[in-house]
Amino acid sequence: MITLKQKEEGIQKNGKKKLPFKERAKRQWDKNAIVYIFLIPTLIHFLVFQVYPFGFSLVLTFLDWKIIGDPEFVGLKHWIAFFNDKLAWKAIWNTVLFSIYYIVPTMALGLLLALIINSGVKFGGFFKGIFFLPVVTSFVIIAGIWGWLFRGTETGMVNWIISFIGIDPQLFLADSGQALMVLAGLSVFKVAGSTMIYYFAGLQSIPKQLYEAAKIDGASAFRIFWTITFPLLKPIHFYVAIITTIGSFQIFDSTFLLTGGGPNYSTTTIVFYLYQQGFAGLNLSYAAVLSYALFFIILVVSLIQRKYLGKETSLY
Amino acid sequence: MKKFSFLVLFLILGLVLAACSSDEEATGSGDGEGGGDGEVSGEITVWVHPYTADAEAESAMWDEIIASYNEEFDVDVTIETIPWANRDQKVLTALAANNGPDVFYAIPDQMPQYADEGMLLELDPYLEDNNMDDFVDTALVSTKWQDKTYGLPILQEAYTYFYNVEVVEAIGEDPENLPATWSEFEEWAKKAKEEGFYAMSYQGGGSMNGTLYPFLWQAGGEVITQDDEVMINNEAGVEAFEFVKKMYDNGWIPEDSITAMNHDALWNAGDILAVQGSGISLTNLEESGLDFVIAPPLKNKEQLTYGTTGMFVVPSNSDNPDAAAEFIKVATNAESQRKFNTITQYIPTRESAKDIFDDEKYLGQLAEYTQYALPGVIHPIGRTIMPSIQAEVQSMMAGEKTPQEAADAAAEAIEAELAK
Repeated sequence: MITLKQKEEGIQKNGKKKLPFKERAKRQWDKNAIVYIFLIPTLIHFLVFQVYPFGFSLVLTFLDWKIIGDPEFVGLKHWIAFFNDKLAWKAIWNTVLFSIYYIVPTMALGLLLALIINSGVKFGGFFKGIFFLPVVTSFVIIAGIWGWLFRGTETGMVNWIISFIGIDPQLFLADSGQALMVLAGLSVFKVAGSTMIYYFAGLQSIPKQLYEAAKIDGASAFRIFWTITFPLLKPIHFYVAIITTIGSFQIFDSTFLLTGGGPNYSTTTIVFYLYQQGFAGLNLSYAAVLSYALFFIILVVSLIQRKYLGKETSLY
Repeated sequence: MKKFSFLVLFLILGLVLAACSSDEEATGSGDGEGGGDGEVSGEITVWVHPYTADAEAESAMWDEIIASYNEEFDVDVTIETIPWANRDQKVLTALAANNGPDVFYAIPDQMPQYADEGMLLELDPYLEDNNMDDFVDTALVSTKWQDKTYGLPILQEAYTYFYNVEVVEAIGEDPENLPATWSEFEEWAKKAKEEGFYAMSYQGGGSMNGTLYPFLWQAGGEVITQDDEVMINNEAGVEAFEFVKKMYDNGWIPEDSITAMNHDALWNAGDILAVQGSGISLTNLEESGLDFVIAPPLKNKEQLTYGTTGMFVVPSNSDNPDAAAEFIKVATNAESQRKFNTITQYIPTRESAKDIFDDEKYLGQLAEYTQYALPGVIHPIGRTIMPSIQAEVQSMMAGEKTPQEAADAAAEAIEAELAK
C-alpha cells in the first residue's frame, strides 16, 4: 500500500508539466508497459470479483431483486426499512458489544503470550506451537469443543469445575446475558494465537540496546515494558487492532454454529442477520443494504483507528 | 495523472463487463420461452445431492433411473451431484445467471418461497396421467402452493420419539407400552425427573420444526395458513407454548434447552428418557449401542409430527421444461422410488414403494409414521419468521414473557413480516 501511495505521489509531481494527455499516456506506456501487462490479469480479477460486485450490490439496494425475472426499482424503500428495523439496530449493537468483549482481550492475550515465548522460557518453540494450535484448527471443531465445555447443564465441563468453588450451574449459551460473552471467549481463544505471532514479530524488531540502556539506568521490568516495549509496538497495535476490529464486525460462524442467534436475538450479529435476510429470507436487496451499513461502520472505525493509532513511531 | 488513465481503463473494462452480462441476459431469456409443444427431446441437467456417503452406488442408481426414463424419452440427461453445503446459494446464483439446472432437489421451506417468486414451473398440466393417489397425502402438502403443484416428492421422513430402554426400566415403566398422548408422556416425564433423568431432548437453538411446531400441530394449531391468516396465538397455539414452558420449568428438558443445538452427549450418557429422531438418527442410534424403542408421534388433539419431504422441481427458466417435467415423473414413480430409497434409506413417498422396508424392523415402523408427518410451515415467509418465533419461545422459556405474551408477540412479528 505504502509503495503504491508513494508512487502515486511521485506521478502527480511529474504530471505538473501538463503535457497533452495523449503524449503523457504514450510516455507512461513506453516507460511502464511491462508493468501494465503484468498488472492486467490482476486488474481483471479485481474488477470482476471486487469492483463489479461492490458496485452492483449498491444498485441492488435500490431494487427488489427477484433472482429470476425483472428486478423492480423501489428507490429508497430498503434503506428506510433499515432505519426503522429495530432488529437490525439490535444486531449492530450486539456486534459492537461483541467487539468490546473481543478486541482488547484478544490483543492483551496475544501480547501476553508473545511476551511469554519471547522471554526465553524453556521450550519456547513448543509453547508457540501450542498457543498457535487453535488458529490452525477448523473453527467448526473448536466451536464444537467450546459448546461442549460451556454446556448449560450441571454436567457441562465448566459448570462442573465452577461447582467446586461454590458457583451454581450457569446457563451460558442459553442465557441472554452470557451467551455473547461465551461466543467472544471462543473467538479470543481462536484468534489470540495469531495476534501472538504478530506481537512476537514486533517484539523481535525492538532494538536490544534500548533494553540494555534501560537496565543500566536501573529501570524495573514493569517500567521497561510500559516505556519501551509497549510504545514501540505501536505499529503492531495498529495492525492487530484493525484486523481484530474487522474480524469482530464480521463475526458469524460462532453464532451460526452455537446459538442460532438466540436466546431472544442476544447473539444475532449484523452478519448473521444479513445472512438470514439474504439467504434464508431471499431478501437479497435488504441484505445488500445491511452489508453497506456494515461497510460504513468498518470504514469509520478504521479511519478513527488510523487517526489515533496509525502515526509513524519515531524511535528516538 | 496516472490516476486518470487508470480510471479510464477501469471504466472501459467496466463497460465491457456490463455489456457482456446484459448480452447473456438477453440471449438467456430468449431461450427460456421455447418449449411447451409436444415432442420431448434435447438434453436436461439434473442437480442432485450426495444423499449417502456411497457415491458409486448412487451414481449406479441414477444410471438405472435415467435408463428407464430413456426407454420412453430420447433425452440426454446429465446428473450433477452438488454438495449440500450452501446449496441454496448455489441454486440461486445458477438460476439468476440463467445457467442453472433443468431439475433440482428442493426441500419444503424452499418450495413456496421459490414458487411465490415465480421461479418454479407449475407441474399440473403434466400430471394428468401420473398416478397421484399413490402418494402419501402429507408428502404432497409441501409440493403445493396456492393450489398449484410445483414439485413431486421422492423421499420423506418422520420424526418421532426414541426411548432409552434402560431409562424406561429405571423409572419402572414398560418399554412395550410407550406414551401415546401428552398426558401419558407427562406422567413418564415426572417419574423421569424424580429418578434424575431428563424426559426429552429439546434443541431450542435449532429449527422450530424440531421444537414448538410439532406440539403446535398436536394441539390442533397452525402457524399461518396459505391465505396469510396468522394462527399461532389462538387457543391451540398458546397451549403449545404452555406445554414447552411446562417442560422447561419442570426440568423435563435440559437447562440449556433455550439455545441447545443438540443433546447428543446427554443422550449418549444415558441421561435422557426420549429423543426426537428420524431415519437418519437410526444409524447413529444403532452404532451407539444403546438399547432403544421407537414410539409413535404424540397425540393431543391430533396425532402429528414433523418430517421433511424431498422433492424435485423445475425452474421456470429451464430450457427444456417438458423433458424436465417428464423426468421428475419417472424419477418419482414407484419403481424409481424403490431404487432411490433402498440406497438412501429414506422413506418412499408412494405407498406402493414402501414395501422395500417390509422386512426392516425400525424403518418399517418409521415408514408407517410418514402419514402423520407435516413438512413444516408451507409459506414463502416460512423461513423468515422462524427466528422471530424462536426468539419469543426463548424469552418465554427464560421467564421474560408468559406463554400468551410470547405467542402474541410471535403473531405480531409474523404480521409485520407479512406486511413487508
